[in-house]
Amino acid sequence: MLDLSPDTPVVPGPLEAEPPLRTAVSRRRDPEGAARELAGALRHAELGFVLFFCSAEYPLAALSSALDEAFEGVAVAGCTTAGEITPEGYARGCIVAIGLDRRHFAVSCALVEDLAGFDLIRAQRLVDGLLDDCRGRALAPVGEHSFALTLLDGLSSCEEQVLATLDAALGRIPSFGGSAGDDNRLAHTHVHADGRFHGQAAVVVMINTRLPFEVFTTHHLRPREEKLVVTRADRERRRVLELNALPAAEEYARLVGLPVEALAPEVFARHPLAVRLGEAHFVRSIQRVNDDGSLSFYCAVENGIVLTAMQPAPLLEDLEAVFAGLTARLGEPALVIGCDCFLRRLELESLGLVTPASRLLGRSRVIGFNTYGEQHHGMHINQTFTGVAIGSLPATPDA
Amino acid sequence: MDLSRPRQTPDDAGPRERELLEENARLRRIATALMERVESAGVAGGAPYAAFEHAVLLAEQVRERTETLQRTLAELHAAKAEAEAANLSKTRFLAAVSHDLLQPLNAARLFTSALEEHSLPEPSTRLVGHIGRSLKDVEALLGTLVDISRLDAGVLEPDIAPFPIARLLDVLAEEYRQMAAARGLELHYVGSGAVVASDLALLARVVRNFLTNAIRYTARGKILLGCRRRPEGVEILVGDSGPGIPEEQREAIFQEFQRLGGNRDAEDRGLGLGLAIVDRIAGMLDHPLRLASVPGRGSLFSVRVPHGRLPVTSPPSQATAISPGLGSVLEGARIWVIDNDPGICSGMAALLEGWGCRALTATSLADLEGKAAGAGADVLLVDFHLGEEAPDGLAVAERLRERQPGLPVLVITANHDAAIKGLTRQLGYGCLLKPVKPLRLRMALVDLLGGDSA
Repeated sequence: MLDLSPDTPVVPGPLEAEPPLRTAVSRRRDPEGAARELAGALRHAELGFVLFFCSAEYPLAALSSALDEAFEGVAVAGCTTAGEITPEGYARGCIVAIGLDRRHFAVSCALVEDLAGFDLIRAQRLVDGLLDDCRGRALAPVGEHSFALTLLDGLSSCEEQVLATLDAALGRIPSFGGSAGDDNRLAHTHVHADGRFHGQAAVVVMINTRLPFEVFTTHHLRPREEKLVVTRADRERRRVLELNALPAAEEYARLVGLPVEALAPEVFARHPLAVRLGEAHFVRSIQRVNDDGSLSFYCAVENGIVLTAMQPAPLLEDLEAVFAGLTARLGEPALVIGCDCFLRRLELESLGLVTPASRLLGRSRVIGFNTYGEQHHGMHINQTFTGVAIGSLPATPDA
Repeated sequence: MDLSRPRQTPDDAGPRERELLEENARLRRIATALMERVESAGVAGGAPYAAFEHAVLLAEQVRERTETLQRTLAELHAAKAEAEAANLSKTRFLAAVSHDLLQPLNAARLFTSALEEHSLPEPSTRLVGHIGRSLKDVEALLGTLVDISRLDAGVLEPDIAPFPIARLLDVLAEEYRQMAAARGLELHYVGSGAVVASDLALLARVVRNFLTNAIRYTARGKILLGCRRRPEGVEILVGDSGPGIPEEQREAIFQEFQRLGGNRDAEDRGLGLGLAIVDRIAGMLDHPLRLASVPGRGSLFSVRVPHGRLPVTSPPSQATAISPGLGSVLEGARIWVIDNDPGICSGMAALLEGWGCRALTATSLADLEGKAAGAGADVLLVDFHLGEEAPDGLAVAERLRERQPGLPVLVITANHDAAIKGLTRQLGYGCLLKPVKPLRLRMALVDLLGGDSA
């Protein structure tokens, strides 16, 4: 007979018995309680790394120390959000986390504090450090079996250069990520690493694994006929002052058929603008209307760029097709880490589609957050769903 | 785009004119912005939007390169598959050709053997002997070529089974003692009761090669055949008192077409493939080879075979110990022969009748059933492959055993697949590979007829 008395020491089971990834969510508002709840669900002898996404409403300093204490000895990284994606789909005001088993994942994490000074030499040094660290514990050849996750301060206005530089250093290692959010208040977004939250900073997480994975991005927006030319821009502040030689907000309002006063994030979500490069359209999302009649963007703008008016196609159909493709290539994903633009969520909310969306995300095992911008292979992109799908190892006959 | 909306208007112009002036001004601004953009494009610099454009461009290049790489990989895979298919078809062609060559060769060998049993004038006996030896050489060469191609193509599957080592070595000792004697050499054989696990036919090839080489390269003295029991297995040894092999050539002799010494008399017609085959077979069976040699004193080749254990139900066969002289059970034995090649049928009939058997040959089951007219037989000798449309030898044997339960069956096949051999063994049938060697056929028949009691 088995002895099941409580004082029997817990022996870690064989590798196959443990899921390589665990996920947890806490809706508690007090940092200590939330951190304890997450640790209760994620902590085990082989926990190697914790990735979390939290509402910006938490008292961040207190949350940092609570997480530090709850996951003592385990590296923790994460960021604030404009909404969380939990095992049950969309949520707000909570904290969601992923625990990576060190027997399946070798993880290394680095913080970039000086985004403006992040040049190629620093990028190369950072990537070399991450790769060396992973290589020491590598579970699979580092070059082919690793991906990088980037979390950026979403209001830093540095994404393009940081990403392009980092991508050059990463070479052929695929990368993706999201810009931290703050529940649409556009005040302070933060990334977490090294035991505390940082503004004007980026976190780069290198993940090496034997499990199959695929980094992907998708959007559901299709081009229309109308074109708008940026005739005056403030590149430092990411502002477009004029479109077609007319005040930008006015011209955009005319395009969407609404008065300037009615322009709001929900409108930006339904009527995006994109630049066309080659055959592809890249949405450049509008952040807000300024008092001077200019428009602020979530990404870099430039005088003379041509913006194409876009219209949404059914969002959930597109996402469902993407998940089906991933399942066909990887098998049923064990987890999808999703960076989902908060404008997509606004669109779903205005269309009353949050419940079916949550069902789809839950069914597809997505954990993630609503972003102020996504990152894919060094590109800063907007209004997309970008992430990584991690499959399960094919059953081996001797396992 | 619609740029026609009126904005500020000069006071001194009509409404239409003012409208056009304003539109003109806006279009100029747009054109200026576009020109500025076009002219700054491609300039290296820290502009954030340029960094984004650059990243998109890079991503696109990476995507294109990945696609090219994948295409190249796919082409490589296709080319590899094609090469493999070509190699396989070459092997199949070789197997088919050798099968077709073996059939008439088999018949010719049987005729020659039958002819040797006749009392002929002395010059004719000598000629028949020459023909027999020439045919044997052709057969050996053909077998060697087929074997090496099959080994290279990886189509030869070993059929591992336990057997007493004596079952192999007794026969070989008998066969090679005569060959050695013909060259004035003495073959010294030390028998063993050990049981090993191996593929009997493949292991036989290895030991035969050792023996052939020993006889070929030894001018005078002794050949030794024996075993040594070791913890890891039974080492089968073939020693000679030949010239020995210099240290520096001990690896080379295991390669194709390598032969030592100028000892090329009229009877030496090998291709130098012998030890290359030995090496491949030993590798496939995982039987380690060993070579010890002292130049001027002799060489000792050995192969180590794992120990085997016989299943308790099958008592060790005695038949192998029977010498050709103990063939009296064959006298008057009724033997049915089914082979779709009439040449083989008449060759077999001549051979069997020479041994005193009563042979009944047929080219098909129907043919046999017509000729037998309800009578029984002591042994059925059936070719596995009885033509495209016809049922195979096993099916025919099964039909005949329905009529005569327990009829001993000997299946003859040119197909060297282990599967057929295994199948016949499961059914309790004997199995001989083509070309059929008269001595083996005789021993197999004696075995099936319970010859040890005769």
